[in-house]
Amino acid sequence: MSLLLDRLSKTYPGRDGHPVRAVLGLDLHVEDGEIVALLGSSGCGKTSTLRMIAGFESVTAGTITLAGRRIDGQPPDRRGVAMAFEGYALYPPLTIAENIGFGLVRDKRGLSREAAAQRVREMAEMLEIAPLLARRPGGLSGGQQQRASLARALARDAALYLLDEPMGQLEPQLRAVLRGRVKAALKSRGCTALLVTHDQTEANAMADRIAVMEGGVLQQYGPPAVLRERPANLFVATFLGEPPMNALAAKVQPEGLSLADAAGQCIPLPGVKLPPDGVNVVLGVRPHHLHLGEGPLSGTVISNQWLGDQAHVVIELREKIIVAVSHTRVKLRAGERIAFGFRPAHAHIFDGQTGRALAHGPQPA
Amino acid sequence: MSADPGLAVRALSVTFGRNHLLRGIDFDVAEGETLVLFGPSGVGKTVLLRAIAGLEPAARGEVRVAGRDVSMRGPEARGIGMAFQNFALYPHMSARDNIASPLRARGVSRAEIERRVGAVADLLRIGHVLGHAPKELSNGQKQRTALARALVGEPRVLLLDDPLRNVDAKLRYEMRLEFPRLLRTAGAATLYVTQDYREAMALGDRVAILLDGRIAQTAPPETVYEHPDSVAVARLFGDPPINLLPCRPTESTGGVQVAAAGLRLTLPAAQHAIGRDCLLGLRPEAIAVHAAALPGAAPAQLNATTPLHERLVVLLRAGGEEVVASVLGEVPVPGSAVWISADPAQATLFDAGSGARIAAPAPVREAA
Amino acid sequence: MARIDGTSAFLARGLRTLALAVIVLFFLFPILWIVLMSFQTNEQILRIPPSLLFDPTIVNYRALISGKLVTAAGQLDLPFMRNLGNSVLLSSVSVLLSLVLGVPAAYAFARFRFRLGENIAFTLLSFRFAPPLLVLLPLSLYFQDLGLANTYTGLVWVYQLICLPLILWIVRGYFEDASPDIEYAYRVDGHSWWRAFTRIAIPLAGPGIAAAGLLAFIFAWNNFVFALILASADKQPVTVGALAFVTASGIQYGQIAAAIVLSILPTLALALYAQRWLVEGLSLGAVKG
Repeated sequence: MSLLLDRLSKTYPGRDGHPVRAVLGLDLHVEDGEIVALLGSSGCGKTSTLRMIAGFESVTAGTITLAGRRIDGQPPDRRGVAMAFEGYALYPPLTIAENIGFGLVRDKRGLSREAAAQRVREMAEMLEIAPLLARRPGGLSGGQQQRASLARALARDAALYLLDEPMGQLEPQLRAVLRGRVKAALKSRGCTALLVTHDQTEANAMADRIAVMEGGVLQQYGPPAVLRERPANLFVATFLGEPPMNALAAKVQPEGLSLADAAGQCIPLPGVKLPPDGVNVVLGVRPHHLHLGEGPLSGTVISNQWLGDQAHVVIELREKIIVAVSHTRVKLRAGERIAFGFRPAHAHIFDGQTGRALAHGPQPA
Repeated sequence: MSADPGLAVRALSVTFGRNHLLRGIDFDVAEGETLVLFGPSGVGKTVLLRAIAGLEPAARGEVRVAGRDVSMRGPEARGIGMAFQNFALYPHMSARDNIASPLRARGVSRAEIERRVGAVADLLRIGHVLGHAPKELSNGQKQRTALARALVGEPRVLLLDDPLRNVDAKLRYEMRLEFPRLLRTAGAATLYVTQDYREAMALGDRVAILLDGRIAQTAPPETVYEHPDSVAVARLFGDPPINLLPCRPTESTGGVQVAAAGLRLTLPAAQHAIGRDCLLGLRPEAIAVHAAALPGAAPAQLNATTPLHERLVVLLRAGGEEVVASVLGEVPVPGSAVWISADPAQATLFDAGSGARIAAPAPVREAA
Repeated sequence: MARIDGTSAFLARGLRTLALAVIVLFFLFPILWIVLMSFQTNEQILRIPPSLLFDPTIVNYRALISGKLVTAAGQLDLPFMRNLGNSVLLSSVSVLLSLVLGVPAAYAFARFRFRLGENIAFTLLSFRFAPPLLVLLPLSLYFQDLGLANTYTGLVWVYQLICLPLILWIVRGYFEDASPDIEYAYRVDGHSWWRAFTRIAIPLAGPGIAAAGLLAFIFAWNNFVFALILASADKQPVTVGALAFVTASGIQYGQIAAAIVLSILPTLALALYAQRWLVEGLSLGAVKG
């Protein structure tokens, strides 16, 4: 069911009289059947937002509407929300099967005993905890408990699924596969889900749209591709992407951009709508958009790290460190000089003071 | 430079009661070399570092630093620098006094302490916070202070216990880029512990994989990734992880033929693999996904796609097996019928029983 | 709407203050009453109905400090100041001895696993289980034989039964809470274990040591039976000395109250002094985030 946050704010009384503004006027619309990730580093306000939606935290200002019904004044159990907790919150005396089935049996409109058991089995198989169903949470690893907690949330029929760092403790070998399975399961049942995470890989992998938060303020909200190709500001640009976007201080000149980090060297950027001459900007280029071996820039290779499926080449450009990613192996040794460049289509221009995006390279047709 | 390695560990064992945590560990780290110690959590990586540092009373075996046996010495007399996962800064001392601690222990003059603390602080860019107490430092600064303390005494052996574990993702990446140069400057024999395979591959001259109390494989990062000695090692590297498909190789000209998940590959495996239960290891990036039938490609059902950095992780079902591919570029929408092919040069064959690698992957040709 | 919210918030704050005041009064009333009594004569205290209004007098304090107790039956010698001195001496020496013995022992129990370690620690705690009188009767016989009865040495020794388990168990917890990695790091830096113990472990457990020391001091200070049986007049602490206020001509309430006030003072002073060591937070920020 669709979720609407309207100018949602949360202020905590501070310890020394200064109120802490955790969330500031957050507007967010999650459509029916959509998976949205609330992404940000710790303290960005994403957890406060989640707790307000779940009903564990009162709302300072603004409203929360779920499926057309105001829920911000209601107790958590009346909101029709299922939640997977970061800290698992499994019931220790119950077996994993009883934990997963807990919400199903208690619900008045719940399933029959057989249907509930069937649902529990399905969830356990999807999350690979079927062999653990008879065990209790006590002896299980963090990853196993987290999968059980996730299964418990997904087993319920809820208007909204809140997933708080649902894969943070998962074994790395399982993460990629389970992300795909959970996403497919949510999609096939048409579930609406809000995923709260600090891990951009997880957000990118699972979400239809991502809301990036920082300092209690929504920075940008859109599909992963838009955030990647059209970041609204320097924060979003450098927060998303691994390795992060290279950012170079520059000044607009009649013939292109003059790079302060490359001794004022001027780079023409045909097709990019540059701001007026003389404006200080930041030029952003993603590491995998840098071509090695040709181009107007040159620097010294500091390291060349092959990670099995990609190479990270670190280049020193005077004082500045630049990272280039190649999906094939490159023969480069530390200390070598290397020329490199990028296509104007891959340039991002940000305001030198505010960090707001001013121009992006022309999008490929 | 002496012929002795900077650090040599011989027959090192740690036993807690009946639990043999580490059994007969042997390895060398040359001066200036970085050996990454890699393994899942709880495997005893930290215990091994402690044993080398002399902090583990249950340790048996020999530890040689620059040729001298230090096994019977206390941790203060081994000539080792160590950085701890939780930083382990002295909370009641300033960052400056924290860093100066190894020099104070040796009775270095005040002026010399001042000079060397300043130099290492500049190297790690924490000169401006030297007067702060640890609780006033950010996590990144704490981590750099702990590193500075390990480096300042110019130890022959440097033990780094997952030093980037507790800093945020962005800083971790930046430090990963900075480390190779830092460690080159230090010139010590470095043993670096991590749980992140990318960090291991990025920083290690060689990687030692610790599994079940033993070192399962020691090799340069590329070798470990491409020619893992066992299924267990193969599973630890790569994101998404390697596909392991059950198969039973048959005889073929130029090697053995393997059929798994609808794919037929010819591998130059040892003949004794024929007729045995094996696992075909295929890295997700070695699998190509096609929208149309190609010669040699196997039909598959595309179940889900999840973006991973610049790649797409594709969940497939082919020949009754779940197959994960990691591709660059576009793929059809979930639910589509697709065709997959695999590069036999990137395939590895393992014995299903023992998990040991059978075939050295080398390209021959793809069977039709 | 906003105005109503404001009013109810004001009301809530007022009620909270009132509730706090009632609670504080309830708990502090006995102490307050004693302080008031100490400035009254026995006659003023015993009048009916009792009154909060009176002419304060310091005769009680003068009597205690001069050691001359004036009762209806005549003048009595009262070694109160000597008792107070005994209390200070016995309590502080006992606590110091317990710290010297208990802190290293607590460290050993916290850091090292050794055979019977837990059993020894538990045995030390079990000293507190036995009713003191049962221990004391046989002990007093042995002390007579050993010549320890009615000596400061003997009393300090017996006081270890009070102080040592307390210090051992509290301080041990603090040592266990501090990450051993901090001491390991100091060792690897090149310092001996003794320096790691004195420069790292003890400062980090400082608040715990202060709290345990203070608590042990209070328990030692308030002890009654040990000294009652093992000490005679010149070695008695205030707790036993206070028996002298029950005289043939009645109970000297005013002097008792003054004596209570005087005997609270050293402990109070020590608590205020120790407070700055009790502040937690030294160990904050030592390890990750």
